Amino acid sequence: MSFGLWEDLEGVVAMVDAENIASKQKQISISEFFEKNKHFLGFDTLQRAVITAVKEAVDNSLDACEEARILPTIKVEIKKLKADKLELICQDNGPGIPRNSVENVFGKFLLGSRFHAIRQTRGQQGIGITGVVMYSQLTTGSKTHVISKIKSDSSAVHVDLGLDTRKNKATKSNEIRDVWFEDGEEVVSGLKIKTVMKAKYQRGRQSVHQYLRMTSIVNPHATIQLIVRDVDGEIIDQGHWIRTTEKLPRVVEEIKPHPHGIHLGQLQRMLKEADERKLTSFLRHNFSGVSMRAAKEILGKAELDEGRTPVRIKADEAQALLDSFQEVKLLAPPIDCLSPIEEILIKKGLSKAIDSRFASTVTRKPAVSQGNPFQIEVGLVFGGDLAADGPIEVLRFANRVPLMYQQGGCLMTKALESVNWKQYGLEHPGGKGLPKGPAAVLIHLASTNVQFTSEAKEAVSDNVEVHEEIRKAMLEVGRGLKNHLKKSKQRKKAQEKFDLINIILPEISRKTSDMLGREEPDLSPVITRIMNAVFLEDEVTWDNDTKQNICSVTIYNYTARARAYTILAKWPEAKGVRMVENPRGGRKETNGLWAWRLDTLNPGESAEIRFTVEGLTKGDWNEMDIFFRGNGDIIGANKIDEKLLDEMRKVEALAVAEAEHAKPDEIGSLERVLDRAEPVEGLQEAPNEDLTEPTAPVLEVIPAEDEDWFGMKDGDTE
Amino acid sequence: MSANGYTKEQVIEALHDIAGEMHNKMLKGEPPTMTLPVRTKQNISFDSKLGVYKYGKKRSTRDATSLGSARQLLRALHVTEFIEEMIEAGKSSTLREMYYISEGWGHGKFGSQNESNNLAEDLEIITKCMREDFKLRPEEDGARIIGNITLQERNRRGEWMRINCRDDVGDSGYGVPYNVELEKIRLVDHDVDFIMAIETGGMFDRLVENGFDESARCALVHLKGQPARSTRRIIKRMNEEWNLPVLVFLDGDPWSYRIYASIAYGAIKTAHISEYLATPSAVYLGIRAGDIESYDLPADDLSSKDIQALNAELSDPRFADAEWQEEIKLMLELGKKAEQQSLAKYGLDFVTETYLPEKLAEILGR
Repeated sequence: MSFGLWEDLEGVVAMVDAENIASKQKQISISEFFEKNKHFLGFDTLQRAVITAVKEAVDNSLDACEEARILPTIKVEIKKLKADKLELICQDNGPGIPRNSVENVFGKFLLGSRFHAIRQTRGQQGIGITGVVMYSQLTTGSKTHVISKIKSDSSAVHVDLGLDTRKNKATKSNEIRDVWFEDGEEVVSGLKIKTVMKAKYQRGRQSVHQYLRMTSIVNPHATIQLIVRDVDGEIIDQGHWIRTTEKLPRVVEEIKPHPHGIHLGQLQRMLKEADERKLTSFLRHNFSGVSMRAAKEILGKAELDEGRTPVRIKADEAQALLDSFQEVKLLAPPIDCLSPIEEILIKKGLSKAIDSRFASTVTRKPAVSQGNPFQIEVGLVFGGDLAADGPIEVLRFANRVPLMYQQGGCLMTKALESVNWKQYGLEHPGGKGLPKGPAAVLIHLASTNVQFTSEAKEAVSDNVEVHEEIRKAMLEVGRGLKNHLKKSKQRKKAQEKFDLINIILPEISRKTSDMLGREEPDLSPVITRIMNAVFLEDEVTWDNDTKQNICSVTIYNYTARARAYTILAKWPEAKGVRMVENPRGGRKETNGLWAWRLDTLNPGESAEIRFTVEGLTKGDWNEMDIFFRGNGDIIGANKIDEKLLDEMRKVEALAVAEAEHAKPDEIGSLERVLDRAEPVEGLQEAPNEDLTEPTAPVLEVIPAEDEDWFGMKDGDTE
Repeated sequence: MSANGYTKEQVIEALHDIAGEMHNKMLKGEPPTMTLPVRTKQNISFDSKLGVYKYGKKRSTRDATSLGSARQLLRALHVTEFIEEMIEAGKSSTLREMYYISEGWGHGKFGSQNESNNLAEDLEIITKCMREDFKLRPEEDGARIIGNITLQERNRRGEWMRINCRDDVGDSGYGVPYNVELEKIRLVDHDVDFIMAIETGGMFDRLVENGFDESARCALVHLKGQPARSTRRIIKRMNEEWNLPVLVFLDGDPWSYRIYASIAYGAIKTAHISEYLATPSAVYLGIRAGDIESYDLPADDLSSKDIQALNAELSDPRFADAEWQEEIKLMLELGKKAEQQSLAKYGLDFVTETYLPEKLAEILGR
């Protein structure tokens, strides 16, 4: 629900009339206010009005479902009517609204009961559903029809709502209680609104379709459907994004504001409404991060007596208090009030809306800026259906709400553009503006207080800490992209070579022999001459029957000497994810890294490592990173960096000792180690001096701690 | 029989030698290869015995160590098989047809028409056969001829038809077939003093309409831009067998210079068969760079591509003599080019009554 309107009004009214905020706020006619400020409220153009209306309804539905722990199923229907009017129907399966709250939710702009609460909600950003009721009434004179059903009631409320704009109150009419059927089934709980408004439906980058597509990306737990009909009932646009996870976002905790993130107006209001009798207790009870010692220090710096009553504090004294907040060292605000989407769900969300070949996602740790906790998440997808010409698509989100306008002026875009994308494999002419290529980048800013450039709330304003966090996240996904591109290039080259020796060469041999009436030559020495390298092919596939990932690594020795290697595979080891079959055995090298020993791989021979993994879902894991230990190069795998691996093991041992909070760190450090192991560029000749003789294979020296090898006998030792 | 006098068996044997090179390499445990001359202007040189430009000694070897060249080798084998089949069946196909037939060749399939054309030329160069020997026809049709010459063409029923290129043809003239070798065309008789090759259809029709072939006692050959092989070959035969001078009348631009060079000295792409196609005694009549000034012709500015082409010609061995260097530099200096039909500035008859007679007097001394 939208409870953030106090802030909206405050900001907007301040711009309209800076004097005497408090009294003005009460006197101003709501409809006059709406009329004057419709550009801030998202109803300034006919095209935008319908997007804003859908946004308010859908955001409310998602927030309500999240609070009630219901997996949301949302349906949006738009029907074009004559003369630039359209009918909008939004329906959800949320908890519904109790009968006596309907008026409040739909009819009141100012719902002050929770404005002290600071937490990450979607509704923070809009005028709320009331705006839709009002816009409908102002432009078409019609009422908004609402059906609401809560689980505990036997029937639903059906009611028409309008607004008494002078009293700032909803007016109800035609209220009845009746059962509610949709598609022949009785609705258990939910909310449906039907309204007629002056608006125009348009397609493209700024459209209802794009808004819902983006919403579905950051809400992988939601199923969202859109149907748009022409005047004659013909479907002219539609979309259906089905949930890809059953996991609801976690419930966010409410926190008190942090002194470093507060403005004068807000402080004055808090003082005015305070129940506390002393300033010290006021500070400790109403703010986070303020200890008794800190409270005393603040008041000392502000030259205010500790025993003063908050209600009596004057404006200049409040200013002094605000100034002294910045001079005192305070505890950071708690960060469990944030609800990130989480890497794997971003991947799922992106895959729901965009067909791509590669996805790299990063969820940064929460950070704090000016007393506000925030967290950055970034996802990058590449290839597939994405258009290769033109700039990449940027998908911006603040607290899971898509930002669709003012892309160029947004901090997120600026941070994205500040990265040198050329070094990560995207075209970036002049290193300026958006990079080009078949890619889309998602940026999500989760924060208790998103700072926008204007009341339109479409662009995040500049902030050094947030910029830096976004930039770092970009560099991380950029590295992922670079590795992917290198790997695809290597894979393509290797595939070409395989085609050459397995298909073309035998055909040349057959044809020339036929033509000349001669015997076919022995091709194995020719193949060795052509390839002259060790190749590795890997594949991860999903078995829908067993619900397992089947992983296969094949190593081909196309050199004139026998080879011995340890092959290491990175796999998504985690709680609930385990290896099922692994006939070659091998051993765990460190968390998320498994190793197998291949003793002797003779010239012209190949060996396969197969294993299956359980506990993931389809699409979670599509690409394996393979490393090796041993002499020479392997095309298709990178040499492991032993020093870094050792370092990592130490970190892991420490972490195990400390037991808690270990997991994310480990994975992070593994990521960093593996990123630093540079892949082999192109096809290179393996140096001769480290080749072993085919008849007397020299085994690689195994480090002492590796003595517990098992599964070695399965190795290809012929 | 063909221009070079190869029999079917010799053609097939020459093709089999290519397969032989590949097979021998594989027997030695080495990747199969195909060796052929480098086909760029850096590797053409003047053959003083033949009077034309031929490929030099630079050779390149394609070996099957990369996917691209391995495919080329496989394609060459597919094409060889295809040619053998056609020779056996007494059929022929166009290069375009071969390109489509290659759809069924798996990894030997051509990526573009250009690839199949180039490979056909590669095979000609390696085997010293001509594409007619391979039963491969070009897509482009040959030229048109009008003038008092008589020749015999063997029609589809195998009968020899006698055709006079003035009396037995309409206004569009005699159409030159793709094969103009002895087995198809015999040059019988003529009553003309020279051959005039003309670049554009507009100018050809102007000269025909003005009756220039009769008034100047010549045979007019329409080149249709860059002339097809058969056009160059029939000009060459008329020049050799009838001992007739050949005058070339083109636009005055860098591309016309190249057309002339391909007629007189041989084209870079077909330097392996220059001695069959080139007419070293052909004379460039006009439009000359100097004509733009002396006749005050309407002219266009040279484009950047034109200037690039002229500069490339300065280093082309075919334009190495002093007269050509002067001509090219003059055009660069003027910065102008002119079309044949710009002569119409002085009326429709100017070309036949003034320009050409003046040029002929200069060249043939009459």
